[in-house]
Amino acid sequence: MQKYILSQNKNSNVEDFQMREQLINTFKHRFTTYGYKQVRTSTFEQYDMYGSITGTVNKDEMIKVIDSSGQVLVLRPDVTIPLARMNRATTDQRLFYILDVFRQSIEQNEQKESTQAGVEFFGDNSPEADAEVIVLAIHTLKDLGFTNFKIELGHAGFFKELIQQADISQNQLETLQTYIHSKNLVEIEPFLKAIGLADDLRNAIQLIPMMYGNPADVIDEAKKIIRNESMKQVLQNIIAVYDVLVDYGVADSIVLNLGLINNMDYYSGIIFQGFLDSIGKPVLMGGRYDHLGKQFGNTIPAIGFAFEVDYLVHALQQQGKEIVEIEPDFIIKYDKTKQKAALQAAYRLRNEGLQILTYLVDNVEVNDATTAIVNYTKDEQQLITQIKSHTFASADELVSQCLAIKEEK
Amino acid sequence: MEQITLALAKGRPAKQTISLLEKTGEHFPELTEESRKLVFHNLDQSIKVIFVKAVDVPTYVEKGAADIGIVGKDNILESLADIYELLDLKIGKCKFSVAGKADHHPSDNQKLTIATKYPNIAKKHFKKKGQPIEIVKLNGSVELAPLIGLADYIVDIVETGNTLRENGLSVLEDIETISTRLIVNKASFATKSTQVNQFINQLKLALE
Repeated sequence: MQKYILSQNKNSNVEDFQMREQLINTFKHRFTTYGYKQVRTSTFEQYDMYGSITGTVNKDEMIKVIDSSGQVLVLRPDVTIPLARMNRATTDQRLFYILDVFRQSIEQNEQKESTQAGVEFFGDNSPEADAEVIVLAIHTLKDLGFTNFKIELGHAGFFKELIQQADISQNQLETLQTYIHSKNLVEIEPFLKAIGLADDLRNAIQLIPMMYGNPADVIDEAKKIIRNESMKQVLQNIIAVYDVLVDYGVADSIVLNLGLINNMDYYSGIIFQGFLDSIGKPVLMGGRYDHLGKQFGNTIPAIGFAFEVDYLVHALQQQGKEIVEIEPDFIIKYDKTKQKAALQAAYRLRNEGLQILTYLVDNVEVNDATTAIVNYTKDEQQLITQIKSHTFASADELVSQCLAIKEEK
Repeated sequence: MEQITLALAKGRPAKQTISLLEKTGEHFPELTEESRKLVFHNLDQSIKVIFVKAVDVPTYVEKGAADIGIVGKDNILESLADIYELLDLKIGKCKFSVAGKADHHPSDNQKLTIATKYPNIAKKHFKKKGQPIEIVKLNGSVELAPLIGLADYIVDIVETGNTLRENGLSVLEDIETISTRLIVNKASFATKSTQVNQFINQLKLALE
């Protein structure tokens, strides 16, 4: 028999896919229990749609295609924006998706597609809605068997409000954001001094990266740098969401991170990201985006998040989680003279929902110690299990014997 | 308590960091002058140290193979790794500079050719200035490039400037100052907060 190199890899690919399927089933089940309905969006989107709205995916990262009429399209770089655009709901709507997204970045050139599993909750902008979405993320991580993870909770408004009081250029703002993003305390101080901000404002900004950790402590710290009514409201919002999370009983999984800045500028309220102990990047990201819909003429508030499925698969593999390998229930070996009877029996057994593999005995040496074997030879019809062997006269008899064995298992 | 993994850049930074750690009371009995081991532990096994090549430290930390790394700012900048940078150890100080022959004057509208070991840093610097460049990536003896006409200028680390001077080059512009930094994996910072913060505070004390 000819061997292909591919066949050596096949196993791992099959396993990889089985693991993904298990994950996806977990997502579907858990998202459904919170009342979410599955949707999909088109693989091709208008480049202009992404180009015209502010604060979305970096244009360089999108993968562009040109159709026959010369229109520029992009391969779906994210799901939230198309959903926000398509959504015409005026009341509560809960949607989820499990879709591939396509992006290219200089740092990760080889990785152009990744799978996202996410939810979007339209219509409610209460702290209870925020908390419910975060709890859904935590609940799903627990379903997947992760125990050591943290959700970092922040607010898009906190930094924005603070920085609005500072007179700095777009370039300086970007540098500042990189420093905050990497909690670079070493360079942030000289940088802010060089800009020449007022001392109290500078101190407040400098404190932001380290506003991290135990929610009660961080809230106390944050109160000290509140400078106006809108910052006060932002903090009130964070406290309100956290209180609901405490009532859900998930406070252990929450840390506050007021230095959290998401690259997607459209977030307007609570933002959050989740970390597992074994993966260096966030495995989920999300937040409230009440104003994104306005760019498409609908004003419904919304919050959502998405899991990076590839990271989760990687984490599960690292933890050595094994796939439950599905073995065939029965193997039917037959000899050419009994082909009709054997194949018809196989059809009937499959119809009963059993997994059956058939082999013409001349072609192959079947050596499977664990699976029960049905033998159709010229002289006898036998069902051999590990324990004993039965003979059977008709297909009816075989089906009932097989089902009985399956039942015992 | 859960163990934390510390990635150190082989060579001088590792030695300096280890002696800092010894000052804080952490001892590494398996580590001796002649040892070639790449992995060793402190007395109570709470810290695992791994020795890796300096350029790889940010990668180890970003991927979570190490929780904490101690490495020069040059390697952090070049790696573009998404990590937290929490502490300046104030050792290994030097700077990134643009250098070239003093009498070299390329015409204004010409694309500059830059030889460097650090293409990302060079690109970023000239992008900020709006100067189009072409990069020649070299792995050593970068000073040679302008001398034999391979490049207009170089972007490299300058410590004393001796190598530059001896080769007839001079610093034209400083890009940024560099020193050894402590970097932390973002997930470790979230999931092993206590251990990570304890380690950082210990090191801060030793630095004072």
